[in-house]
Amino acid sequence: MKAKPIKIAATAAVFVVAFGGLLYSTLREGTEYYKHVDEVMIDPAAWHGKRLQLHGYVVDDSIFVKPSTLEYRFQIQSNGKVVPAQYKGVVPDTFKNGSEVVLKGRLGPDGFAVEPNGVMAKCPSKYEAGPAARAPKS
Amino acid sequence: MPSLGTFLLLTTFVVCSYAVAASIAGARRRSQRLIESGIGAFYLVAALMTVASAVIVHAFVTDNYAIRYVQRYSDSAQPLAYKIASYWGGLDGSIMFWVFLLSVFGATAVKVNREKHRELIPWVVAVIAATEMFFIFLMVVHNNPFSTFLTPPPADGRGLNPLLQNFYMAIHPPSLYVGFVAMTVPFAFGIAALATGQVDDSWLRAVRSWTMIGWLFLSFGLTLGMLWAYEELGWGGFWGWDPVENAGLLPWFTATAFLHSVMVQERRGMLRVWNVTLVIVTFFLTIFGTFMTRSGVVQSVHAFGEDRELALLFTIFMAVILSVSFGLLIYRLPLLRARHELDSWISREAAFLANNWILLFSAFFVLFATMFPTLSEALRGERLTVGPTFFNTWMLPIGLILLLLTGIGPLLAWRKSTLSNLVQQFLWPSTAAAITAVALLVFGVRVWSSGVCFAFSAFVFGTITQEFIRGARVRQGATGTGLLTAMIGLVARSKRRYGGYIVHVGIVLMFLGFAGQGFQQEETVVLKPAQQVTVGHFTIRHDSLSVTSDSQKQMITGQVTLFEDGQPLGALEPAKWFFNKHEQDPTTEVAIRRSGAEDVYVVLAGYEVASQSATYKITINPLVNWIWIGFGVMAIGTGIAMLPEVAFSFAMARIPSTATTSLLVLLLLLPAGLRAQHSENPQEVLVAPKSALEREMQKEIICMCGTCGRKRIGECTCALAARMREEVSRLVAGGKSREEIYQYYIEKYGSQEPLASPINKGFNRLAWLFPYLIGASGAVAIAFVAVRWSHRDEQRRPAAPVSPAGNPELQARLDDELRDLD
Repeated sequence: MKAKPIKIAATAAVFVVAFGGLLYSTLREGTEYYKHVDEVMIDPAAWHGKRLQLHGYVVDDSIFVKPSTLEYRFQIQSNGKVVPAQYKGVVPDTFKNGSEVVLKGRLGPDGFAVEPNGVMAKCPSKYEAGPAARAPKS
Repeated sequence: MPSLGTFLLLTTFVVCSYAVAASIAGARRRSQRLIESGIGAFYLVAALMTVASAVIVHAFVTDNYAIRYVQRYSDSAQPLAYKIASYWGGLDGSIMFWVFLLSVFGATAVKVNREKHRELIPWVVAVIAATEMFFIFLMVVHNNPFSTFLTPPPADGRGLNPLLQNFYMAIHPPSLYVGFVAMTVPFAFGIAALATGQVDDSWLRAVRSWTMIGWLFLSFGLTLGMLWAYEELGWGGFWGWDPVENAGLLPWFTATAFLHSVMVQERRGMLRVWNVTLVIVTFFLTIFGTFMTRSGVVQSVHAFGEDRELALLFTIFMAVILSVSFGLLIYRLPLLRARHELDSWISREAAFLANNWILLFSAFFVLFATMFPTLSEALRGERLTVGPTFFNTWMLPIGLILLLLTGIGPLLAWRKSTLSNLVQQFLWPSTAAAITAVALLVFGVRVWSSGVCFAFSAFVFGTITQEFIRGARVRQGATGTGLLTAMIGLVARSKRRYGGYIVHVGIVLMFLGFAGQGFQQEETVVLKPAQQVTVGHFTIRHDSLSVTSDSQKQMITGQVTLFEDGQPLGALEPAKWFFNKHEQDPTTEVAIRRSGAEDVYVVLAGYEVASQSATYKITINPLVNWIWIGFGVMAIGTGIAMLPEVAFSFAMARIPSTATTSLLVLLLLLPAGLRAQHSENPQEVLVAPKSALEREMQKEIICMCGTCGRKRIGECTCALAARMREEVSRLVAGGKSREEIYQYYIEKYGSQEPLASPINKGFNRLAWLFPYLIGASGAVAIAFVAVRWSHRDEQRRPAAPVSPAGNPELQARLDDELRDLD
């Protein structure tokens, strides 16, 4: 009987360590920084190559689409700082001039490379007005 | 009307607090009269909430736009069904709807169990009434659905969000609420059992069917949510691990765990602490889920508004729940000792235990990952997020293990399985799994997760078939009827067991649907007329682009012909709809060709009218329909499992049987492809604020035109509001702080009138504090009255202790407790 609490504690410890380790390793691959454009543009070089979710507003009249393709070039800004972005794919309905977006991807020297299906247009709320738009994703 | 509504809410709050005080005092004094009056007050709460609901529904139906909430979520053009559905379309109403459901459920639960569980009932009433009090308090101080405009109201409402005007969305939230609310009943019984010390298995019997009802509605709500995402949002999938979705999933995990571990307690008297814990955690998670989605703690793509005050109130309530329930649990630990120990790890109770651990782990994992951005921000000051890939990496293996356990559990014997027993039981299911695995390899299926899932599914099917056939054989031998008759007799005799197996069949079918996602194919192309593209064994030809319009909207439709292996299958018409006054926000109308094997899912992603070319996103979703069918099977199984309760009480009989029938009817409706029925709603497109401060300011400053009824400038559509917005924008751009902007407006208009809420400072704090002071003093008063009343009784007959001799039940309990002393 005396050994029982020890056994339970040992089993629990093994499980906790195993899950903790697994969690830590998967977290390192799975996490993305959630940043606003102006936060990143203070020191862009520091963010090169890191996985980012970039939050900002589409700059008016900055959206260009190559005719008959799905290649987009546009700029997003927040508080005056601007980043050019490239994207290939389908954009959500609410992606337009001035809309609030979150982009998933990596920052490079020539701008922000958005991953496939990485454009999410924010909507104010499910319960507030405005449609709950979601970028198409796989 | 609105003042009647507010008055009703206040009355309900008072009656509710009386129910709490009278019940607790009655239970402590053993005064039947106080207990009866508490129950009476509790029924009265249900009646009052029903009347209040009728008032708000009446306001919606008669377009009473003097009420802010009605104006905000309805308009005159909306169809009647959506006017009624708008009741729970917004935050304030959804809280009220919650209280309404809780009061009705609570009253039913008390009525049904009143005679059977006399000792528990006053505590059940107190717990449920206290929960209702919290939500009514929220409404009264913070989210009153009956609050009105102080000035003449607008002529028309702003309308329910078009995306929510949809068949699934109208029934999805109520279904989830019913699931959440039903979980309050088991919690109340659990707390009552702890408070009275009657922790034998009798409270579990009262609770089981309620958990099943809650579980069924939770599953139904989650399935509807998936269907809505799949058919309406147009991204090709159905589950994106969004916080709002996760909030509903969390209590589902723990409720599922409870439904399984209950059996261990019934059969073996083990896991008693565990079961109480699961009931508490499930209830806590329903409240936490509400908190998470309503308070803006977690950011989501379709986030709800941020609301710190609401967050604070919820945090206090959750802290109270946790400390009271776990405090009671620790206090009663000596009574909750297990009657047996685990004999062997190769036993059914061990399998149940494993299933419980995994389900609970899933709940905590999903909770952790959902809260991860908030946690990382609190700990490291940096917001880190985890995406669906992270969830999938973890939940995929967890799901597979759970699936395997579904098959293993029924094969193991209670207490201990012998080796020969194991061989005999595992032979056929394992063979089925092995044959499936080999067949998959031969046919070249190389997606390992889906392959394993198929093999495990075969294993579970093997187990269930074997259970049915062996059981039927035994019965056949005993009664001498045919195999089929014996099987029906078998299900009829032990409904819970075989109903449970049928639920498992449903789960397996759902897993087949999930596994199909491993074979999803996707293609995005730009096509000119007569061009075509081949995805899998389907070919899609773009014929033309049509531009049509009706009274409500303009429609851009892609005319598409679908071929399977070269044979024409028919036409598809994916479209974009531009509703009048909503031209900026087109809605995507997905075209889906359904079949048992796979769905062809076509979205018109872009178009060019001049060249008639169109961009299509084509997704082939194999097996996806089996998820919906699986849910139908699950509902049937749950219905069968709940039938025994029919024999016990007539009141219960009505709920499950009608619920199952209506669910089946709904289920038949679902694949019929009910399209979203949008209706226009007038809304001005506003200039997006450029900074956080500006956005806040648009909510804090009120339009001073004097005609639009003190709307915030961010919401008002008049010309003055537009000018004021520009003014705020200029002030913010000029580097003014919040205080300076307040000051600017106070000076400009000579008072605090343009501010939406009084400045949280000095004397003004009183205005903020007042409702909380009242709430707090109410709580103190209830505690005082409850203690006082219980004492008065003791004072009255100080020297005459209750003699147990006259009461056999009390005598038995006394004996029981005395035995524990030895």
